[in-house]
Amino acid sequence: MSNIGWKDVLADEMSDDLAHEIDIFEGQMELMGQGKLDEKVFAETRLRRGVYGQRYDNGQRHDGFESRELAFDEKERIKGPDTLWHAPGMQRIKVPGGGLTPNQLDVLAQVADEYSDGILHITTRQDIQLHFVHIEDTPDMMRRLASVGITTREACGNSVRNVTCCHLAGVCRTEVFDATPYSEAFAEFLLGHDDVQDFGRKFKPAFSGCEAEACGLVMMHDIGYLAQIQEVDGNPRRGFKVYVGGGLGTVPHQAKVLSEFTPEEEILPLAQAVSRVFARLGEKRNRNRARIKFLVAKLGIEEFRRLVEEERKTLPHDDRWTAYMDTLPHYEEKPSRPPTFLNGQVRSSEFNQWFETNVYSQRQEGYSVVTVNLPLGDLTSQQTWELADIARKYVGDNVRSTVEQNIVLRWVSDSDLPNLYEELKAIGLGDPGAGTIVDITACPGTDTCKLGIASSRGLAGELRTRLTAKSASLPDAIKDLKIKISGCFNSCGQHHVSDIGFFGNSRRSGNFKMPHFQVILGGKWHDNAGSYGLAVGAVPSKTVPEVVDTITSRYVEERSKGETFQDWIGRIGKKEARNIIQPFMQLPAFEQDPEYFSDWGDPRVFSLGDIGIGECAGEVVSLFSMEISPAESEAFEAQVALDENDPARADALAYSSMLKAARALVRTQFLDVGDSPDRIVQEFKTRFFDTELFFDQYAKGKFGQYLLDRHSNGDPKPDNDAAHRLIEEALLFIEATHACESKVGGNVLVEI
Amino acid sequence: MIAPHRLSIKFFFDDFSVDVESFIPVFHRWIREDVVPNELLLDVADYKHIVDGPAILLVGHEADYVIDLTDGKPGLLYVRKRDVGSDLSSALGTTLSQALNGAKLTENDVELKGKLKLRTDGAAIVLLDRLNYPNAANGDGADSPAVAAQAQLSENLAAVFGDDATVTRVANHAREPLTFKLHAPSAPDVDTLLNRLGSGD
Ligand code: HEM
Ligand code: SF4
Repeated sequence: MSNIGWKDVLADEMSDDLAHEIDIFEGQMELMGQGKLDEKVFAETRLRRGVYGQRYDNGQRHDGFESRELAFDEKERIKGPDTLWHAPGMQRIKVPGGGLTPNQLDVLAQVADEYSDGILHITTRQDIQLHFVHIEDTPDMMRRLASVGITTREACGNSVRNVTCCHLAGVCRTEVFDATPYSEAFAEFLLGHDDVQDFGRKFKPAFSGCEAEACGLVMMHDIGYLAQIQEVDGNPRRGFKVYVGGGLGTVPHQAKVLSEFTPEEEILPLAQAVSRVFARLGEKRNRNRARIKFLVAKLGIEEFRRLVEEERKTLPHDDRWTAYMDTLPHYEEKPSRPPTFLNGQVRSSEFNQWFETNVYSQRQEGYSVVTVNLPLGDLTSQQTWELADIARKYVGDNVRSTVEQNIVLRWVSDSDLPNLYEELKAIGLGDPGAGTIVDITACPGTDTCKLGIASSRGLAGELRTRLTAKSASLPDAIKDLKIKISGCFNSCGQHHVSDIGFFGNSRRSGNFKMPHFQVILGGKWHDNAGSYGLAVGAVPSKTVPEVVDTITSRYVEERSKGETFQDWIGRIGKKEARNIIQPFMQLPAFEQDPEYFSDWGDPRVFSLGDIGIGECAGEVVSLFSMEISPAESEAFEAQVALDENDPARADALAYSSMLKAARALVRTQFLDVGDSPDRIVQEFKTRFFDTELFFDQYAKGKFGQYLLDRHSNGDPKPDNDAAHRLIEEALLFIEATHACESKVGGNVLVEI
Repeated sequence: MIAPHRLSIKFFFDDFSVDVESFIPVFHRWIREDVVPNELLLDVADYKHIVDGPAILLVGHEADYVIDLTDGKPGLLYVRKRDVGSDLSSALGTTLSQALNGAKLTENDVELKGKLKLRTDGAAIVLLDRLNYPNAANGDGADSPAVAAQAQLSENLAAVFGDDATVTRVANHAREPLTFKLHAPSAPDVDTLLNRLGSGD
């Protein structure tokens, strides 16, 4: 029997930071298991590791007749409010800019088959999600991902989410310049940054290379960067037009221009200043108004801009703002094959059909981008490693996921296209129709989401099948329309920015509820999600395929030459649009048509009984609680190290846990304390020790002295006893930190 | 030998001509009626849009039941995920008897009865545990767990499926899980197998 775990096997393959963060998370899990962590703190902690709740994890499930309790073991054990420890959950894996390598794909496929249901799901923000994951498996999963440079940190929770970037950046024919290295620098800079730990809500960034296309979707993001070149003193300078305060959800907002031009060296400090303003002034209590869009709307963009500019002036200098720029001139992707042309090869009609929709000719002659059209954004582990091999053979590391839930292979040498197509087809990934009406986007919906009302994926699958069957006969005008579906008003499926969008809701007929979809028409994908669609009315879920047929047929009949779908909807107006769907709004009684009372792909009689509490808003817990929790985990790890007879490590961890606790306390007053132990101890001393704020009624300064003593001991050489003593002291110190925070907390001024 | 993190067994259908969608209501009913002993059934996942993969999953807490079309070979795949067992032998025992029980439930289901037959003369067995059972190539030095697992599986399976049952390793890529093929020309039917395992009715 072996006791060697992934932690040991991969020790040399993970970066120290990632490895340590995962150990801390594992320690926090352990503490939660012992009931030593607050449930909300743990919930937010795991969310910030991408460990998300999933439908039925409150232990209830409606079976079509009644709501039943699911007999999980240890029902008293939880991993957050109303969330059972043993219930499987979802793991979101961050993929900045969608960039993936074949080696990463291999490992993703492996963790999917060992820890989830063997399906990788691409999300609408270029992430990857695995479902039905048990929380015990998450640390090892994270280690395996870390070994290929992937982190799940801040994939969920009130944090900076995945930084998206056009999947065509760098090869696009219309971009100003390649936004990729900037989006990467942004993602790296803000990941785990001190100034992004105290948000009231999530914060989603996006980068785009050009204004007119859609890929970056900057207009619907909390912060969006649009590449620009400006003449400054006769020289072209790179920079970005910066948007802020966009977002979908129940109340969609178009982003406002924060700055017409921010030069490249200023984009990171600007993001930091925005983060600070958001952390300080953003709503924390009312989660429905906590996104930055509400702050921008409340203050007005001018005032918001003024505050950001003020904030910028006070930021302590950080070399990382511009460090990445040295690498920019060398940033380039390497094709793995020389450029060639598609001349003379025999082409099947199937290939031609695929070529028409799934191949984009790059700016670089002789190369193309191939879109692997994934049904509902899903692929199996086996398909994933087979795709990794195809990528190795044709494009090397040039693989990205897209916000339309597909994967692209970039830098395909043109003459390789026919063979590549055959190889994709052989693994079931050769579907044509990428970016067309059959390539439907859908959020997880009632399949796995705790907030899902109607089955967005069930509907998307049905529409895909029906539209694919007749795609050859579809008129050109409707072939390129986009359909996007969300399972509820939260709009994770981005229905606001599609030609024909749907979001799930429910209506009553007699004594029964019937799954419905609200119809949203005329949203704009182009112009970076340039405008949002009109809600025209709700129709029963089971009528949606007919509704789509009816709307598209009317459009084809009535459109004037060259009239886009948006223009047509704009012309006929909301009232007439509603008239089109009116015939579908009559609801049959249950006895007349029971089919209407169940959802696509789910024969259970429809109910809303399974809706749980979503975790999208994370838990609002204080910055202090979030920062002290890793200290506790480290003290715990120190005990483990001592049990393993490693006093040096135990001592180092105990000391580090005291520093973390002191830092958390100092940061309640002074956010910019930084990471240097000397600075932390000095600030702790002057602010809390010398002022006696830290003093205990009876023990006086004893607990604080533990840190001061250990810090001044440059060469501890601990034996088991000494390490044991330090661990005890660390635990007392952490306790005292809690006590001090609750004594002083709330009355302190935050300096910036 | 240590129990693998997960262990799966797939039995193949004879002449599969059922629309995979028809498993959806069946699986929902199984959950409602709590038909599987000692397992908590949770939900049904519909992946029929995926070509050549799992089509419909009955997701459980301890195990998943999958109508699996991978490699064009439709079968019932049983994936044991939790409470796998104390060692490889017991893991195999649990997985095999629960998988066969699943096969029996499927064949005898009121909605599926007479439409389906699972073959018992062959199966695919997968050890989903790259840490303890790396899929190292034969003879490369790191293959001792694979060799030992093969011997163990051969011994245990011959006792159930008959002396002529053989277990061979599938020569798949090292990144894939360690996979074996059971060939059991004289295997009896599901009930007899269950009886031999001591899990019959
Ligand atoms: C009140 C709660 C929620 C709100 C307001 C919300 C809102 C949104 C919005 C507006 C998007 C899409 C657009 C974008 O920003 O690009 C999104 C993305 C997404 N949401 Fe939600 N959501 C909520 C909860 C959930 C839940 C409970 C799930 C299911 C587990 C979920 C799953 C997703 C997924 C898979 C994405 C794709 C994005 C990613 O990778 O970050 N959301 N969410
Ligand atoms: S739109 Fe609603 S149903 Fe869909 S994932 Fe978001 S919260 Fe869940």
